[in-house]
Amino acid sequence: MVKIPIRVLVVDDEKDFVEMLSLRLNESGQKVVQAFNGKECLDILEKDGVDVVVLDLKMPGMDGIEVLKEIKQRFPLVEVVMLTGHGTAETAVEGMKLGAYDYLLKPADFEELLGKLEAARNRKESQEERIRRAEAKLMVRRSGGLS
Amino acid sequence: MTEREHSDRPVRLLLVDDEAHFRDAIARRLEKRGFTVSKAPDGGTALEILEKDPIDVVVTDVKMPGMDGIELLGRIKDLHPEIEVLLLTGHAALDDGVAGIKAGAFDYLTKPIELEQLAGKIRHAHDKILREEEKRREAEFRRQVEEQMIVTERLASLGTLSTGMAHEINNPLAIIKESAGWLSMILDKPEMADMPRRSDFRKGLEKITDGVERARRITHQLLGGVQKRSETIVDVDLKDLAAESTELVAREAANKGVEIVHQIEPDARRIRTDPYALRQALINLVNNAVQATQSGTVAIAARRAGGAIEIQVRDTGPGIPAEYRKKIFEPFFTTKDPGKGTGLGLYVTRNILEKLGGGIEVESSVGKGTTFTISLPVAEPTGADGRNKRNPR
Repeated sequence: MVKIPIRVLVVDDEKDFVEMLSLRLNESGQKVVQAFNGKECLDILEKDGVDVVVLDLKMPGMDGIEVLKEIKQRFPLVEVVMLTGHGTAETAVEGMKLGAYDYLLKPADFEELLGKLEAARNRKESQEERIRRAEAKLMVRRSGGLS
Repeated sequence: MTEREHSDRPVRLLLVDDEAHFRDAIARRLEKRGFTVSKAPDGGTALEILEKDPIDVVVTDVKMPGMDGIELLGRIKDLHPEIEVLLLTGHAALDDGVAGIKAGAFDYLTKPIELEQLAGKIRHAHDKILREEEKRREAEFRRQVEEQMIVTERLASLGTLSTGMAHEINNPLAIIKESAGWLSMILDKPEMADMPRRSDFRKGLEKITDGVERARRITHQLLGGVQKRSETIVDVDLKDLAAESTELVAREAANKGVEIVHQIEPDARRIRTDPYALRQALINLVNNAVQATQSGTVAIAARRAGGAIEIQVRDTGPGIPAEYRKKIFEPFFTTKDPGKGTGLGLYVTRNILEKLGGGIEVESSVGKGTTFTISLPVAEPTGADGRNKRNPR
């Protein structure tokens, strides 16, 4: 069975962390892009196809929750897995209420992260699939109505 | 309580006079009025009696051969400052009385004395003693409260410091973890199969991963302690919760021959609180208790105490020496070997309970065992106070 790579965008102001996690995700067969702040993250989403964003909640400037809101508003189908170095699970819960898929406490277990990334990607794909089918139905109905 | 005991107890009197006849007559009449009276013929005997018997008030003649009343007064004030002294002076010797008061006597009476007056003065002297005692108790209480506040503030600042540190450490920890994980992944690639000294690399990476895991447990425990989970306040059955809390250590306890006993009184079964937080606190205490106990019992008990529920975790372990007792709630205090205990269990437990609006205390007797007593309000704390308590800072 061929594993389809997950397109992951890693966002964290800790450059070394972004680099190492990206290398590891790449090594495990995923397709990774990197961003070091909220603005870069949104710019990348604008031009690249991304399945899941791995988002650090604590960043200087635009903080994780703001970035998350912006992502969900502009790219509602993109899934977000939050990483928090903060012990307060509330911020993470708040994030999930805002549409994030799940969260992990830093330093996260890699296998666990991978599991969540895959599940998030699956949710995104099935959602996209439903949208495609709904669109197709709509087309059929429209063309049916015309003839 | 103590005050009542004092006022109900007869006033203990020592009567000092060299005239035996006068001494005995006064003593008899005072005893009739409910005083407990000891007698001494001279200053030296009086001091000997004070050395071994508890006395509240000394009534002494001033004019005595050898040590006179004024000298005796001075010695008493030096040796037993809490005792009040009444002087009996000759009617022409007003100066003696004044000198006596200057030297610390409560009052003086001129001979011939009127018994009613003497009894009244003795009672006044005794009242003064009670007031002084009360003042001392209050001062002691205030000192204890202040000491407690210092401890609380110290814990709070230690808490802030350590959670701040945990935060900062988590980031580099994540970098180390990902780096080691990445290298391990590479090492597993088929093209690396023939790498020289591959097993050495593998060993080193494993040690790094283990070390990170250990550090991660510490930081997560620290940060977990300040989490607030205010949304999970529900009705909790303590009997079930106690059972769940002891489940994890049941096997370890059984292997050691330690019996786990549950004593939840019926009126203490229901409590409105956060079950996850309380269970975590109980698990920590029960784990400690089972680990500390070589044989005997670990009891988890709950009873109603007014508007609060008291939960006790008792063990028959070796006990905690007095010098450790003050420190056990501090973060990172542990007597275990490095890597065996983080020294955070009781610190986190205390934090959890305070956030639930309660508290925890320890009593321990070396060689006999230790009892941790949790006190929690029956109803969920409401109002500004309760809310404040649940906030991490």
